[in-house]
Amino acid sequence: MLRDRLIFGLIYNNGAFMQSRNFRLQRVGDINWLEKNYKFQKISFSIDELVVVDASRNDKNIEVFASTVRRLVEKVFVPVAAGGGIKKVSDAETLFLNGADKVVINSALYRDPDLVKQIIDRYGSQSLVASVDYKMSEGECCVYIDDGSTLIEASLLEYLSYVESLGVGEILLNSIDKDGTGFGYDLDIVSQYCSGLNVPLILMGGAGKESHLLDGMKLPEVSAVATANLFNFIGNGLPNAREFMLSSGANLANWNPGCR
Amino acid sequence: MKIVIVDYGMGNVRSIVGALNYIGQEDVLVSNQFEDLNNADRLILPGVGNFSQAMRRIIDLELDKKLVDLVVGNNKSILGICLGMQLLGRASTEGELNFGLGIIDGRVERFEVEGLKVPHVGYNQVIFNEMSRLYKGLSTGPDFYFTHSFRMLSDSSIGASTCQYGGAFVASFELENVAGVQFHPELSQDNGLQLLRNFVELFEC
Repeated sequence: MLRDRLIFGLIYNNGAFMQSRNFRLQRVGDINWLEKNYKFQKISFSIDELVVVDASRNDKNIEVFASTVRRLVEKVFVPVAAGGGIKKVSDAETLFLNGADKVVINSALYRDPDLVKQIIDRYGSQSLVASVDYKMSEGECCVYIDDGSTLIEASLLEYLSYVESLGVGEILLNSIDKDGTGFGYDLDIVSQYCSGLNVPLILMGGAGKESHLLDGMKLPEVSAVATANLFNFIGNGLPNAREFMLSSGANLANWNPGCR
Repeated sequence: MKIVIVDYGMGNVRSIVGALNYIGQEDVLVSNQFEDLNNADRLILPGVGNFSQAMRRIIDLELDKKLVDLVVGNNKSILGICLGMQLLGRASTEGELNFGLGIIDGRVERFEVEGLKVPHVGYNQVIFNEMSRLYKGLSTGPDFYFTHSFRMLSDSSIGASTCQYGGAFVASFELENVAGVQFHPELSQDNGLQLLRNFVELFEC
């Protein structure tokens, strides 16, 4: 049976890892902090996938970011998706060469669909995760690009269908309103906007505790739930969350830890 | 033990090298030089992306006939991973240049089932035969990471394990010195590390 996935997200900004709240970034620590507080190579056995996003607001340096990804993913044996600021095929290639299995594309979905198609032609649709950020405004569901700073003229429904038509492999849907709040996912949006999707959906934004992850996973439209909440899942947070979810009957993969 | 990952420029081979190092294999080379391939104790044919583009690159590097000679003629042990596994088959419906290396009797077709999300992405369970060498030491129905839009079907006995997604398809095959896995062992935690260990230890040339 195809399993649901628990994904851990990391938000990177000019050499540091961040806690994001409504897309405002707060510095938490550098890679040394991360390795100390998350014992990364250990807890990576509790997650099904890792997403690392460069959210640096100005000049994103893909080379420096890629070298951080490279260090991060050593001895990590789950798929790694990385992105943020990809403007040309060679940017994607840089990430693939440094340990990414997939790239995450957001603004280029809107600004440069040809780039999206070129990456898919070369690396396959499964190699591209489309990231879509949205926020409620006067009862309307509005789509934003450029790290949540630019509103685009398309309804969420139209935009999701457009993104799917580009041939992307997965869609990562993130609520700017719920981001980092720890209040739980925006569950209503999923049944309203995502039931027609034919690609796997990753839900992100708002998970603050184990039961939130489970709530998201229960929705039939959702293939994976993601959290980038560095504060709420610190230490043994992720191993504990996985254990809780498995004991609550979540459809997650089982490992044979004896084989490590 | 000399392990050579065949380099034809498709996909992330860093994680395969990392996984092999983790299970204690230090002599791992990424190369497309015939001499290296010929000197290897184990070959790994990786790959993600488009079938016909991959075949084009393999042919441009003049590796197609050499690989067949090494594997079929010289009994060199090989493990195909994901697209690499599909390339060991006869043909694919993906793209234009769609004849594979033809070492294994399998055909590759797109998932076309009404209402099925494509690509097939995530961990899924594999049903294996207890005679299998690849899955030795793993419990029933182990989970492995899949990410693909095309899958292999076969009517021949190729020592296949199966996975269910819109019906059964070939998750892996193993015949003497030739093995292939549709999933990514290097991205499948403990289960994948064990499978790689089994390939290294149990697939003598």
